[in-house]
Amino acid sequence: MKKILLTLILLSTGITFSQNTNKVFPYNYSEKVLSNGLKVILIPMENTDIVAYFTVVRTGSRDEWEEGKSGFAHFFEHMMFRGTERFPGNVYDSIVTSLGADANAYTSLDLTVYHMKFASEDLETVMDIESDRFRNLKYSKEEFQTESGAIYGEYRKGRTSPWSVAFESMQNMAFDKHTYKHTTIGFEKDIKDMPNLYDYSLSFYKRYYRPENCVLLVVGAIDNEKTFRLAEKYYSEWKSGYVSPKIDSEPVQTSSRKEEVGYEGRTLPLLYIGYKGEKFDVNNKNYLAARAFANIAFGETSELYKKLVLKEQKVQYLMANMTSTRDPYLFQIMSMVKDENDINYVSEEINKTIEYYKKNKVSEELFNKLLMREKYSFLMSLDNPANVAGILPQYITISGGINVIDEYFSKMEKLTVDDINNAVNYYFTPEKMNQIILKGAK
Amino acid sequence: MKRYFSLVLFFALLLLSNISQAIDKERFVGIQVKSDPSIVVKIWFNVGSQNDHVGKEGLANLTSALLSEGGTIEKTYSQILEELYPLATGYSASSSVEMTIFSGRTHTDNISTYYKLFVDQILNPAFREEDFNRLKQNQITYLETTLRYSSDEELGKAVLYNKIFNGTGYGHITEGTISGLKNITLEDVRNFYKKYFNKNNFVLGLSGNYSDELVNKLWNDLSKLPEGEWNKTEKPVTKKIEGLNYTLVEKKANASAISFGFPIDFLRGSREWYALAIANSWLGEHRNSSSHLYQVIREARGLNYGDYSYIENFPNGGRYSMPPQNVARKSQIFEVWIRPVPNETRLFSFRAAFRELKKLVDNGLSKDEFELTKKFLKKYVLHYAKNSAEKLGYVLDDKFYRLKNSHLIAFRKMMDEITLDEVNNAIKKHLQYKNMEIVFITDGTEKLRNDILEDNPSPITYPTSKPETIYQEDKDIMIFPVSTSAEKIKIMKVEELFN
Repeated sequence: MKKILLTLILLSTGITFSQNTNKVFPYNYSEKVLSNGLKVILIPMENTDIVAYFTVVRTGSRDEWEEGKSGFAHFFEHMMFRGTERFPGNVYDSIVTSLGADANAYTSLDLTVYHMKFASEDLETVMDIESDRFRNLKYSKEEFQTESGAIYGEYRKGRTSPWSVAFESMQNMAFDKHTYKHTTIGFEKDIKDMPNLYDYSLSFYKRYYRPENCVLLVVGAIDNEKTFRLAEKYYSEWKSGYVSPKIDSEPVQTSSRKEEVGYEGRTLPLLYIGYKGEKFDVNNKNYLAARAFANIAFGETSELYKKLVLKEQKVQYLMANMTSTRDPYLFQIMSMVKDENDINYVSEEINKTIEYYKKNKVSEELFNKLLMREKYSFLMSLDNPANVAGILPQYITISGGINVIDEYFSKMEKLTVDDINNAVNYYFTPEKMNQIILKGAK
Repeated sequence: MKRYFSLVLFFALLLLSNISQAIDKERFVGIQVKSDPSIVVKIWFNVGSQNDHVGKEGLANLTSALLSEGGTIEKTYSQILEELYPLATGYSASSSVEMTIFSGRTHTDNISTYYKLFVDQILNPAFREEDFNRLKQNQITYLETTLRYSSDEELGKAVLYNKIFNGTGYGHITEGTISGLKNITLEDVRNFYKKYFNKNNFVLGLSGNYSDELVNKLWNDLSKLPEGEWNKTEKPVTKKIEGLNYTLVEKKANASAISFGFPIDFLRGSREWYALAIANSWLGEHRNSSSHLYQVIREARGLNYGDYSYIENFPNGGRYSMPPQNVARKSQIFEVWIRPVPNETRLFSFRAAFRELKKLVDNGLSKDEFELTKKFLKKYVLHYAKNSAEKLGYVLDDKFYRLKNSHLIAFRKMMDEITLDEVNNAIKKHLQYKNMEIVFITDGTEKLRNDILEDNPSPITYPTSKPETIYQEDKDIMIFPVSTSAEKIKIMKVEELFN
C-alpha cells in the first residue's frame, strides 16, 4: 500500500503538522514542544462537543527504583487531587464538579495519566486548574496520611480478584533486579509504610512531575491555534528539572521458574505462563512477530483455542500477548482451567503449540487476516475523543509521540511468515519460561 | 424504447415494494451520522429474565448467549469466529430482566461480509448440543465460583435485588440459579427462541454511517423471524418492606461488601425522576468524587475505595464509570453501594452511610448543594453517550420508557427548570430510611448480628491523625441506631446463594 505522509514544519511557530493521507491513524494532529520541554499534541475531531484532556506523565511503577518505595507512582496519582494554594482540594473538586467533567487518573507500569473529559467551552478553566496542580501541588502531612488508607483499600479490593494475585506473584518471581518486579499497586509492606513517607513524596513530585517528562494531549472539539496559545499561557512557567530514575536492567534469565500460589477465595485454577520478552520497538522484527504470534497461536480463532475452549471445553479462558512496555517485560499466556487435574494437560498443549510453530509456518492467508484484524481493531476503537486520546498514552510514553502508530502498522505489514518462525525460536526457550499456577480455597 | 424501459422499472419497483415489508415506524430508531467510520446495529428483543420459566431460571440469558456465541445451521461457532476475525469485530447478545439486546458493530468497509454473518446468526441459530453445554456450564461456573467467591461487590448487589424482588419475575439475577440452569434442556432454549425472538417482538435500531437501503434490507430479513406477538409484561409488585431487614452472608474474607436499599415508585421521564436525579447525584454520583458518601467515607476517612447511590439499576459498577444502557426496568430501587471496607470498620461504615441518607431525607439539599449539583449534572450527562452506539442505546431506552422526547435532552433541560423545592419535596415523598433491605457480605456474621441487635457502638481508630471535626462526627456515627428485631436479621452461607 502506498502511503504518503505530508509533514510541514512551520519553522516560525515550531509546530509540526501532520496531514494523514493513506495512513492508518485517521486523524490529523499537530505537535509543539514548549521551551520548558513540555510536548503538546492536538487532535481536533468533528461531530463532538467534548474535549478529552490527557496529561501523560512518563513515570509509572517502573520508575520506583528505590528500596521500600514501590507503589509510589500510583499513590502519588491520588495525591494530585489534593489541590494547590490557589485551588485547594475542595475548591478544585467543586470546580471540576461544576464543569460536569468526567475526571480521573490511572497508573500503570510505565506511566501515570490524568484525564478529564468536558464541554468544549470549559477548555480554559481546565487548562488553568490542571497546569496549576502540575506546578504548585500542595498537601498537608495529614492529607497525605489519610490517602494512604485509601490505597490500602484499593489493594484489598484488588486482592479479591485471583488475577491480581497471579500478576503479583508472576512479577515478583520473573524479575530479580528490574522494577517490574513489583506491581503498580506495590508490595504490601511498602503500602503499609506509605504514611511515613511524606518527605519522600515531595521529592518524588520534584523529580518526576516536570514538563520534559510529560506530554499534554488534547483531543476533540478544539481549535488548534487557540489551544496552543492557551497551552503557552498556562504551562510555559512550569520549570524543567526532571531527574531520571536509576533502574537496574534485568539480568538474562538462565533457568525456568515455577511457583504454585494460593488464593484465599474460591476460583477456577489459573495457569499463567510468561516468557521473557522485549520492549516495544517497531524496529525489532522479533518483537513485532511475537505480537502477531500471540494472536495466531492463542487467539479466538487459533487451533488451540478451538480445541481447549470450544471443543474439549477444558479451559474457560485463554489469551496471550506480547506486552507493549518501555523495558523488556513478558510474553504472557493466560488461562483459566476448569478442572485442576487438567492443568498439566493444558500446559502440555500450550507447549505443543509453541513447538509446532517453531518448525511450521503460519499460512500467508491467516497472516494477512491477522494484519487486517489489527488495523480494523485499531480503527474501530477510535470512535470518540476519549477513546482516541485513551489509546495514545502508552505509545507516547514509549516513543515520546504518536508517529510510532503509523510506523508500527507499516512495519507489521512488512513482516513475513518466516519472521514469525524466527521469533518463536528466539523467545520460547525453556530457560526464559516462568509459570504461575494459582489455586483457590477448597 | 426509453418509455418502455421506464415502464419496466415502474413495475419492477412496484413488485419490490409488494414483497418488501413496510417498516413499522414504532419499532425502528435510527441515528444516521455520515462521518462515522462504523455502523452499529442494536436489536432490542422484548424479553428478559423475568420471562424465565419457574425452575428454569437463566433461560433468557442462556438463549441469548447461544444466539451470539453459538453456531448457525450453516456454520459452526468456530467457523463464524474465523470469518469475524479479520473484521476485528463480533456481536453480542445480553439479557437483563426486561430487555435482550442483540448488537453488532462493523467498520463501513466491511459491511457486506458482516451483514451476512449478523443476520444469519439471528435467523438461523443451530442450537447445537456442544454450544449449549459449553455456554450452560459457563453460566453455572459464573454463579458457583465467580459471583460467589471472587466478586464481592456484585455479590452484595445481587443479593439485595433478589431480596427486594423475591417472589416476582425480577426475583432472580439474569444469570439464573444453579438448579434452574441444570434443569434447562436444549428443547427449552429452542422453544424460548421461537416464542420470544419473533418477528413482532423487537425494536430495530441503527446508528452511524448506514444507508436507507440497509435499513430496508435488515427489516425485510428480520421479518423472516418466527411468527409471534409483542411480549406484554406487567410491573412486578414487590412485598412491602417493614423496618430494617438484614441479610448477612458469611464469607471468608478480610473485607466486607455492603449494599442497602428499597423499591421506589418513579421512573425516568417524570419530572420527579429528574428532581431525584439531582438529590441522588449529590448523595452518591457513581464513581465520582463529587459523591457526598464518597467524601464522608473515603475522602475524609480513607475507609475504602468509593461509596455511591443509585435510582436506576447499574450492573457491573466496578467496571464502568458511566451509566449503562439497555438494562431498563419497570421497577427500580434506591440503592447505596459501599465498596469493600475492612471487616473491623463494617458497621461504622454502614452507620456513616445510613446516617447520611437520614440527613438527606430529614433536611433535604441546601441551596448551594442544589445549585452545584444541577450545574454538574447538566454538563456531566454529555458523557453518558459518547459515541453512536451509546446514543442508540439511549434512544432504545426511550422506547422502553415510552418517552416522546429524548431522555438525555430532557435531562439537560430539566437542570434549568427544576427548583430546590421540587427536589426536597421529591426526597420527602420517595426516599426514606425506616424500611430497608440491608446486605453485608462478610466474615463473622454472628458477631455482626449481635452488634446490630444490641446496637453496640462501633468505635473507630485511624492509622493517622484526623481533623477535630472528624472525631466529633465519629462520636455520632459510632452510636447511630441500626438495631432491629432478631427475626429481621438473617444469616446465610455464601454456598446457599443462587441455588
